[in-house]
Amino acid sequence: MTRVALLRYPGTWSERDFAHAFSLVPGIETEILWHEDADLRGFDAAIVPGGFSYGDYLRAGAIARISPATKALRRFADDGKPVLGSCNGFQILCEAGLLPGALLRNAGLEYRCDWIHIRAENDRTPWTAGLGGAVLRMPIGHGEGCFVADQDTLAALEENGQVVFRYTDAKGAATLEANPNGSLMNIAGVSNEAGNVVGLMPHPERCVEALLGGTDGYRVLANLSPSLAGAAPAIYR
Amino acid sequence: MRYVATLHVRVRSEVRDPQGEAVGAALRSLGFDVTAVRTGKEIVVTFDSTDEAAAADAVRTMGTELLANPVIEDYEYELKELARA
Repeated sequence: MTRVALLRYPGTWSERDFAHAFSLVPGIETEILWHEDADLRGFDAAIVPGGFSYGDYLRAGAIARISPATKALRRFADDGKPVLGSCNGFQILCEAGLLPGALLRNAGLEYRCDWIHIRAENDRTPWTAGLGGAVLRMPIGHGEGCFVADQDTLAALEENGQVVFRYTDAKGAATLEANPNGSLMNIAGVSNEAGNVVGLMPHPERCVEALLGGTDGYRVLANLSPSLAGAAPAIYR
Repeated sequence: MRYVATLHVRVRSEVRDPQGEAVGAALRSLGFDVTAVRTGKEIVVTFDSTDEAAAADAVRTMGTELLANPVIEDYEYELKELARA
């Protein structure tokens, strides 16, 4: 069994959606961990789910950054274990310095709640094996998803292949119209240099079965188990 | 000693400030000839420290560790010793 920790901060709201999503993936079991006593020993991967941790006070993700769970997460990430942050989880990982850049208020000033497309740019992360170039349809729901970084960081991200997901149209073209929040270079998700920590604004946990309107999130989450076993990624059914 | 630090946190000038842009548009709709608006926040912290140098060190640590995100924000601060009652 692959054991996945789902971190819950005060205001996290997507941890049970992740638990449900992973319950559909054979070979994975999950546990929700309260941030104050999160012990990641014995886990194979960790998820930082979305929500409004600490009410988004100060900046989205800023206060979660100094929580005991984030300290444990930093050690876990340093050990090379797979970490995935979605939405507010992405914001927390950036604030914690586990991922480069920052997420600002959407350029269009709107809270965006919609289905969008992203293209997987890099298949070398534990979450995107076998998905290189795939166009995925996923929901977003955020007011602060505008990815920014200084020019040097941005150039390094592109050069190192740390841009994991980009907003595109349904055909996979990264157009201005396909960018829901003004993110630089249409960036929807990035990884750390080692590639084991990935953050993205869209919600893979909200599109794991036809009833939810889409199944592309399953393709990301289902990758985990075979990646850890070193086997070829499961063919998506 | 008790001190009061006032931190002014602003999004760096090279980073876009959509909130400021929206406020600018609203001011223009009121008829003002506004060319730019930048927004920020003011954070007032009352705390105890041994002396002014230690208090200033503490404020700078608060600023870089939590109150401002150095990736996108700059901050300035004013520090005052609170007069004893």
